[in-house]
Formats: sequence, C-alpha cells, structure tokens
Amino acid sequence: MIELQNVTKYFRTPQGKHYILKNSTFSIPSDVNIGILGRNGAGKSTLMKMLGKIEFPNEGKIISDKSFSWVMGVGGGFQNNMTGRANVKFVCRIYGKSKAEIDRSIEFVKEFSELGDYFEMPIKTYSSGMKSRLTFGLSLAFDFDYLLIDETLSVGDARFRKKSKEALMKKIESCNVLLVSHDMGTLRDICDVGIVSHNAKLHYFDDIKDAIEMYQDINKKG
Amino acid sequence: MSQRTPWEVQKSVIYALFLREVNVRFSAGKLGYFWVIFEPLMQILVFVMVKVLLFGNNSNFDYHVFITLGFIGFNIFRHVVDRSLGAFSANKGLYAYKQVKPIDALIARLLVEVLVTIVIAIIFILVGLYFDFDMNPKNLGMVIFAYLWLIIFAFSVGLLVAVISLFFESFKKVVKILLSPLMFVSAVFYSMQDLPQAVGSLLYYNPLAHFMEMIHGYYFFVLDDGFVDYQYMAIWTVIPIYLGLLLYRKLEKGIISI
Repeated sequence: MIELQNVTKYFRTPQGKHYILKNSTFSIPSDVNIGILGRNGAGKSTLMKMLGKIEFPNEGKIISDKSFSWVMGVGGGFQNNMTGRANVKFVCRIYGKSKAEIDRSIEFVKEFSELGDYFEMPIKTYSSGMKSRLTFGLSLAFDFDYLLIDETLSVGDARFRKKSKEALMKKIESCNVLLVSHDMGTLRDICDVGIVSHNAKLHYFDDIKDAIEMYQDINKKG
Repeated sequence: MSQRTPWEVQKSVIYALFLREVNVRFSAGKLGYFWVIFEPLMQILVFVMVKVLLFGNNSNFDYHVFITLGFIGFNIFRHVVDRSLGAFSANKGLYAYKQVKPIDALIARLLVEVLVTIVIAIIFILVGLYFDFDMNPKNLGMVIFAYLWLIIFAFSVGLLVAVISLFFESFKKVVKILLSPLMFVSAVFYSMQDLPQAVGSLLYYNPLAHFMEMIHGYYFFVLDDGFVDYQYMAIWTVIPIYLGLLLYRKLEKGIISI
C-alpha cells in the first residue's frame, strides 16, 4: 500500500506556483503493477521522484512500508566522472552488499547491460541509451518491492528493448513496478492498474485500459 | 530487503563516498600521491630556508620540527575547508539514491583529508627519526588532542562555508582567496611570543593561531600555551557547527533536488 495524504507539490516559476499536485489524498493498493500516464510536464517524473524519496512534497506525506528502487530515468542517477563499474560498485556499497555480493553483481550487470569496454569508461562517454541499460541492469541486481521506471524501457535499440522487457516480466513475478511510459503497448503488457496525472490531480483506474482511454481523451482535447 | 538502521545506512554511504573520493584523488595519471607529499615538503623547505637565511639558525627549539607541525596543522584546515566548498555539488549525480545525503559527502571528504594527513605525519616522523630531529614532545597526548580538535574545528568551519556558499556562489571564491594568506597570520612558522605586542593582539582574533600555539606549546619544552585561549577556540568550534547544521537541516532537501 502506498498512501498519499494531502500531498501538495509545486514548483516556483516566475509566473507563480506551478502545481503538480494539489492537496491529493490517494492510496495505491499493493501487489499491482502501476502505469502512470500524463502529458509532458504533468508531473509524472516528480511523482516518481517523491516515491523514490529524492523529491519532497511541499505539504502532506507519502507513507508506505514498501521498498522502492531509485528512479530509473533517462540518463539520470549516475556520477559522470566515474566509470560504469565504479558506479555499480558504489550503489552496491550504499545498499550494504558484501564484497562477494558486489563482485557477483558487477559480473551480472556487466553482462546484462552489454556495454563491453564502455563498462570501464566514465559515464560521461555514454549515450542515454547506454545509461539506461546500465541503470536497468543494476536494478535487477537488487530485490525491491517496487521498481520505479521512468521511460527507460523505451530507449535503446529494438533488440535490447525486447531483452529488457523480458527481464522485467520475469522480475515482476517477485516484485511490482511503477512505470511511466508513453508506449501504450508496454503499459498494457506490464501494468494492471493505471494512474493519469492531469491538471494537478491524480486519477486512479482499476484497469490500465481505462487509464489509457482517459489519457487518449485528454490528448484529443489538446 | 532487510531493514538496516539509519546509522548503518549512513555508515555504508560515507564509506562508499570515501572510497570514491580516494579513487578520484589518487587515480593514475593525476600524480595524487606525489602532490600530497610534495606540497608540504616544499612549504617546509622554503620556510626553513627563508628563516635560516634571514634570521640565522638561532632558535632554542628545533625549527624544522616546529614548521612541520605548523604546516601539517595549517594544511589540514585549509584542505578541509577548501574541499568542503565543492562537496555538495561534486556528488550531485549520486543524490539520485535516497540513501546519499549531501552531508555524507562532506564527512567523506573530511575523512580523506584525515587519512592523507596521517600518511604525511607518518612519513615525516620516519624522516625525523632518521635525521635525528627533535622527536621528543613535551606532551604527546595534548599534541594529538590539539590536532583532533583542529580537525573538528576545520569541519565546523567547512560545513558553515559550504552551506553559506549555497546562497552566494561568489562566497566560495572569497573563501578560496582568503585561505592562502591565512597562512601568514596563523602562527604556522613563528611563535606568538616572538611577535611585537601590537601584532600579537591583532592575531589573537584568529582562532587558527590559537591551535598552532597549542600544538607548538605542548610539543616543545621551551614553549608554552600562554597565548592560547581555550574558550575562544571552543566558541569558534561550536558556533559554526551549530549554525551550519541549523542551515543544513533547512536546506538539505533543496540541495538534493536541484
């Protein structure tokens, strides 16, 4: 269960406060895979970051007893001057893995991400697709209750996308996923329920198909 | 995932950041090891030469040791403050992990400086023993205590300037500019007792001079801590750390999400 209690979140802009959420109270049931939809700037990524506890509500609270991964966003979450290997090591260490576990995770991520020599290169030399491969591969080395995936499945080449999707399908047998995506096919395949973020409000749907329908309606209205 | 206590989490984060810092500082091609040893060595040689050439070798204590103690102390202060200034922004990419807090980066950098200082101190002690310098401190315990206190003082000032420079980017530059000449007014390579009264009473306001006098005073039999005002040093340790933590607590979330 993830509970949002009177959550308000805004960003200050020169034109005043831009609201992402206005006094939202909301609960998301456990053991479902959740798709999050919304137009650009509707606050999907901010919502994910708040769940990942690296962005904070201006008012209200988010309560959950579940563990969340870091937000796997396009290109985010790495220190640019460290190599892929050093980043993987770093993340394993902050999650308290032992030395043997770290070695195993490094091998796994190296193989899964298919970065080859780039694994030993600083992140600043990576393309955004390569970063996504690394962050997704790395997340598979941990056991979270929820994976927070912000569009990363839709980058990379077709073959790797397929491989990621398969890996994710297998992973979600033992955990759940919160997925931001603009790819309706992926959302339909992976998610059970849906949330549409629109005009600083969250709309919950028991069936992802209804969420997709609302999202498409919003888009038609323009 | 198994639940870890907040302290366990913070410990593993600081350790991971520490290893990362060490790696960056001492990676191949940067001559990290070389500069760490070379910098204090040059300082010491230059000041010993200037002293001997201008004033002759007439101290009633071992001037080589005096100046080495001074520079070890001054360098740790300067480096900790200097490294604190960049600590928050240098680890920005890592705040994507909720475990990593900006203050952990500050602590990790402090620990790196402490490690570097310990290595340098060991090297100088070995050199001192080999060349038969005065390696017989009056009160070793108090000398070590003075250095430890100096490290806490440096962290305290480093935290405060790091937080203030979040408001004013140019504050960083001001601090960096002030750090070098500070060496000349901090009793690093001279003793306060040798200064004219007027200059001495001015330098009294520099807390760093008190730390240097404390270190020198407890090391050499012919010197004492007469100049040192322990209360003044304590105020300079407690107030910056209090203000620094107060501001940091208010700003932490902002530092993470920029």
